[in-house]
Formats: sequence, C-alpha cells, structure tokens
Amino acid sequence: MPSKFQRRSSPQAPGGLGVGASSVSSTPSNQPRKRVKRCCRNFVTFMCTQVGVGALIVLYAICGAFAFMNIEREYVDKTAAHVLELRQNCSQLLWYITEEHNLIDKRMWVNETNAVLREYQAQIAGIIKNGYVGRSPEQIWSFPAALMFCLSVITMIGYGNMVPRTPWGKGFTVIYATFGIPLYILYFLNMGRVLARSFKFLYRSMHDCTQERNFDTRLDALENGSLGALTLRKKIIVPSTACLWVIIFYVLTGTIMFANWEKWSFLNSFYFCMTSLCKIGFGDFVPGASLTTAADVDAATHKLQEDIAADPNELSELQSIADQHSKLAINFVYMLLGMGLVAMCRNLMREEVHVKLKEMKEDAKLCVEDTRLRFVGCCGDPRDVYENDYY
Amino acid sequence: MSSRRSSFRRKEKPAFQRFKDHCRHFTAFMFSNVGIILLVTFYTIGGAFIFQAIEIFEYERLRSEKPHRFIERNVSGECLTRIWELTAENISFFDHKAYRKRVNDVLLEYQRAIVKKQLKGPDVEQWSFSGAFLYSLTVITTIGYGNITPHSEWGKLATILYAIIGMPLFLLYLSNIGDVLAKSFKWIYSKVCLCRICPGVAKRRIIRERRKMRHLARALQMHHMESGGGSSSYSSSSSTTNSNSSSSTDYTKSSYRSSSIVDVAYSGSDSDIEREIRGSTDEITVPLTVCIFVMVGYILWGALLFGRWEDWNYLDGSYFCLISLSSIGFGDLVPGDRVITADRDKVEVSFILCAVYLLLGMAVIAMCFNLMQEEVVHNIRAIKRGFKACFRCRSS
Repeated sequence: MPSKFQRRSSPQAPGGLGVGASSVSSTPSNQPRKRVKRCCRNFVTFMCTQVGVGALIVLYAICGAFAFMNIEREYVDKTAAHVLELRQNCSQLLWYITEEHNLIDKRMWVNETNAVLREYQAQIAGIIKNGYVGRSPEQIWSFPAALMFCLSVITMIGYGNMVPRTPWGKGFTVIYATFGIPLYILYFLNMGRVLARSFKFLYRSMHDCTQERNFDTRLDALENGSLGALTLRKKIIVPSTACLWVIIFYVLTGTIMFANWEKWSFLNSFYFCMTSLCKIGFGDFVPGASLTTAADVDAATHKLQEDIAADPNELSELQSIADQHSKLAINFVYMLLGMGLVAMCRNLMREEVHVKLKEMKEDAKLCVEDTRLRFVGCCGDPRDVYENDYY
Repeated sequence: MSSRRSSFRRKEKPAFQRFKDHCRHFTAFMFSNVGIILLVTFYTIGGAFIFQAIEIFEYERLRSEKPHRFIERNVSGECLTRIWELTAENISFFDHKAYRKRVNDVLLEYQRAIVKKQLKGPDVEQWSFSGAFLYSLTVITTIGYGNITPHSEWGKLATILYAIIGMPLFLLYLSNIGDVLAKSFKWIYSKVCLCRICPGVAKRRIIRERRKMRHLARALQMHHMESGGGSSSYSSSSSTTNSNSSSSTDYTKSSYRSSSIVDVAYSGSDSDIEREIRGSTDEITVPLTVCIFVMVGYILWGALLFGRWEDWNYLDGSYFCLISLSSIGFGDLVPGDRVITADRDKVEVSFILCAVYLLLGMAVIAMCFNLMQEEVVHNIRAIKRGFKACFRCRSS
C-alpha cells in the first residue's frame, strides 16, 4: 500500500521538471499498480460472489431462525391445555364410576372404565393427528432446531419433523420460501461452479504429475512432445467416476458420523444421508430430533424437584444430550457443503455427458452414412436413393 | 388472403415433403414427450407395486420369524388393571384428592404410551396401492412428505436405488415437458393475447407501427436537415471537410440509419406484412408478470381444489400447494388424511388427484421458469445494448 502511494506522488513532486520524466516514471509504475488493482478486483468479486453468497445464505437462515422462533413461540398451545382438561375429565369420570359401583360389581366397573379409556384414547389420537407431540412450542423451537428448519425450507429438503402451526408462521414460511429458494439456487450454482473448477484443477495437476512420470522418458525422445502434452492437457475431462467417488466418500463419512452420534444403524444412517442429499427428506430420521434443549432439561429438573417418583436417569440422559448443540451446527455445515458437492458433481458430469453425447452423435452419423453407402451399392440406381435421402 | 398465403407456402415446400415433415415431427413428438410422460407414469406405477410388495412381504416375514416383536402391547388393558388395583387397595373412598392424583399419574403414562405408538406410526395398512403410488412419486419428485415411510431394510435400500434412477428421469421429464409447454404457451399468448389470430388486427397494428416509424423517420430527417448546417444529409459524405470530420461521419451514420428506417417504413407491401406476422411469433417473449400470474393462479387453483376436497381453509390449501410444488414437502398436511378411516375409496381418489396435480404443477412451474429465463435474458441483452450505445455516444 505505501509503495503504491509513493509511486503515485513521485511524479507530482518534481512537477515542473518536464512531461517526459513524469511519463517515463509513470509507465513502469502503472504495471504493478494495475496488477494490484486487478488482484484486488478479483478478490472483491470472489468475496462478493462466492463467500458473499455463502454468508448471505447463513445470515438469511439465522434471521429466519430468529423470526420463526419469535413467531412460533407466540403460539398459544391450546392442545396442551386441552389434553390436561381431557385427563382431568377422565379421572373425574373414573371417580364417579368407582363411587357408583363401589367395587362390588367388578365386571360392571371394568366395562364402564374400559369405555371411558377407549374414548380418551380416541380423543388423544385425534389430537396427535393434528400435530400434538407432547412438547411445548418453547421446547420445540429452540434456536438450533429453528436453524435446521430454515435450512430445510430453503434447501427444499423439508423434513417436516417441526412445522409452523400458527397462520402467521405459515404465511411467513411461504414468503420465506419464495425469497429463500432463488437465493439458495444462486448459492447452489455458484458453489457448483467454484468447486467444479477447483476440483478440475486438482484433478488436472494430479493427472499431470502422474502423466509426467510416465512420459518423462519418452518426452525427450519425442520432438513435439510439449505440443502433445499441451493438446493432452486441453482435452482432460474429469471422468464421472471420480465425481462419484467423491460423493460416495462424502456420504460414507456422513453415514459413520451420524451412526456414531445418533446411535442409528448404518443402513438407517446411510438412508438418511442419501434422502437428505437427494432433497427428498422424509423426516422419519432427523438428527436434531433426539437432541433435546436446555428447556427440556429445565423442565426435567423442575419435575424432579416436584415429584419424587420421576425417573432420575432421564435427567442425566437429557443433560448429556443437551451438550450436543455443536453437533447440530456441524450437521448444518454438512448439509450445506453436501449440497455444494452435489452441485459440483452435477456440473462436472454434465460436461462429460455433453462430450460423450457429441461423440455418440458423430458415431451414429458415420454409421448411418456407412449403411447408406452400402445400401446404394447394393440396390443400384443411385439417383433414386439420392433423391429419397435428400428429402 | 388465404389463397395468397397458401400459394406462398407452396412455393416454399412441395406437398409431399411437407407431409413427411409433419410425420417426422409427430413421431419425434410422440417419442420424446408422450414417451417420457408414459415412462414416468409407468416407472411410478412399477415403483408403487415394488414398494408395496417389499413392505408387505417383509412385514409378513418378520411377523412369522419374530412374533414376539409384533404382539401389541395391550396398553389400555394394562391401564385398566392398574387402575383396578389402585382402586382396590385404596379402599377408603373418602380421600378423593389423593385418589384423583394417582389416577392422573396412571393416565399420564397411558397418554405417553399412546403418543409414542401414534408417532412411531404405522403399519402395513398404509401401503395401499395409491399410498405406494404417492410415495414413489414423492421419491422421484424429491418432495418426500414422509407420511408413509419404509420400515423394512430392503424397502430403504430399494428407495435409495429407486431415487438414484428416478430423479434424473424426472428431471428429463421436467425439462422436456417444460419446453413443450413453454412453446405452446408462447404460441397461445402470441395468438390470443396479441390478437395475431385474426389477420386483420395484426395487419392494422403493423400498419400503425409503420406509420409511427414513418413519422419518426421524417422527424429525424428534419432534425438532420436543421443541424447539418446546410449540408443535406443525403450528400453529406461528399461535402465533408477535414475540420469536423468526426461529427460529419456521425451524421452520415445516423442519416444512413434514418434512411434505412425510411426504407422499411415505405416498403410496406402486403407480402412483407404477412412474413412479419408469421416470423415475429418466435421473437415474442412472454412478460414476467404473466408467468408469475400463471404460477400464482395455479397455486390458488390448487388451494381451491384441495380446500373443497379436504376441508382445509384457503391459507392451509395454498400453503400445502406451495410447499409441495417447491418440493419442500413437510408432510404436515397430506391429502387423504381426513378420511383415512372413513372412506377407503375416497382416499384412493384423493391420492391419485394429488399425484396428477403435482405432476402437472411441476411441469407448469418448469414452463414458467423457462419463459422467465428467456424474458430475463432478452431484457439483459437489451440493457447491454443500451449501455453499449450510450458509451458509444459519449466516446464519439
């Protein structure tokens, strides 16, 4: 930086010495300045496009997470109160039954109690169908969970283990998706391009290395060896098997990671990774689901103090699980990176498929030409055939 | 008019070749577009049969091998006996409060058991044909509602394989059908909305445009006459002087342009107009607002449809449609949920309806994106041209 300023000021300082001197000093100083400028520009564009888009995605997700937390925690969970009321009612009914039949007629008592319990079960089942999972909104919408929710919206995975219940939340989800999805697609395309370029570069340099070792002895003998190498370098296309290896490696890493963390079997973990990276996202396995929040632990301790009968093991389990918030963050990064890798593979494979298709087309054309020539040779009267073919 | 047009066309191509061309186009269309629709449909139906068979078979196998896993824990019976014991041991009926509290505890446990059982869900009964059909559709469209999921190991493996093959197929379907729909939508738009279908209106419009251009050209000429300072614009190239050569060449350039405009404006014969009408159909781009309108309209139509079918309100309906069509697929609202126990046939029908709506909707969305991309590219090119012209002006 200081050198740049010095050079800039030096032609001004002599000032009146002459036009020639200043022009002589400015021409060499222009060269590095230009280079620095170009470097800066490249850096800025890189920051703005790649890093900027990535940062934008993360920021968008975080903002969305806060917004959803605020909106969804407002949700007055009437179902919880309703469930409590139902339970009270049920016990009241049981009391009445017991009072009435007085334990003397056991069969009567069993019949009536059974009817009451059946009704209770049906009511609870209906409530569950409407989305009651036995947890309050504060427990569900913790910050990491909300972050995962936002990510699942904008990446179009949509696990569906947690969904907005309020009308405002639903409306906001719609708006959030309409703006988030184009942003995510931008990230996807950008990331795919950058990763494809760097992967190609890596592959090419490795390819060169191995190739040089093979050709080293022959290169000296061949006069136009350098030319051959140059043409070779131009035609190198990353084969799709390499991309597939990268993806398979990534998926296997994820499989082992999730299997260790979540205590899933390997098949389940593999299934989760594949369905997530393919953006299907059934939501029957979700990494955040077993992670409970600090609120959960608080509730458990509260319950423990209140009620001696509660299970103390549950609390310790909850506490050990609650340390795993960092895992959720890693999960977030895993998903984002995985999407980028998928984009990269898509980019590279499309290139290869294009080349292959072109070759195939040429082959087919040659084949058709060949058969036509043969046909002409067999059937004679070339003019007729020619006319037919012309049309 | 029609005779002239037909003669014009006949001059271009003989009838036999035209027929052959049509035939070829038709076969290509059948193979590429109808073929791919059929392929996707059959792939989905085949997937439905496979998944159904796998899930039911595995369920039966597991049941026969390890029956102890499938004995239903009689939750309500357990609860009943516990309450009975509680009541029996607590002979004193005077302590109402204590009794209520203990019964409440038992009930809470019971409720938890119910919740767990309900969330863990389901059994083979969900794998009816239409359910499996919707499942395989949600796999290849990557929606993934998750209301039905495979529980057996082979089912999971089959899902992974099915997705790997099915998703590229579906992408092919999307790009193909999106193209065809975009082309036909453009054609309809150009014919109906711009009144190209009746030749009189189009002709009048073109004549009007020509008249406007003629006025413009005349105004340009007048301008050059005035600002050229006596030197007539047609002969300015001969009478230039060295001192203001740059400006004069500019004038000649513009005068050429204006003269070309004049040429175009004055050469308005009927055949030219005909050709322009036919040729300009390809160059029309559908504006962005129309595309967005189509998408919003489709979603609202879906909201209406599902609202009537499933008793959802409009917010829920449009939320469901958007979540599905953007392939997010939370699965909190799934068609056929309401009537899952009431009426079996209705569920089947609603699943199929949902599948058709999704297939069509994805294609419509692809079409809109196609058209929007075209429009945006067109706009950007125009802006670039404008910028370039601006810079050229300044530099000259």
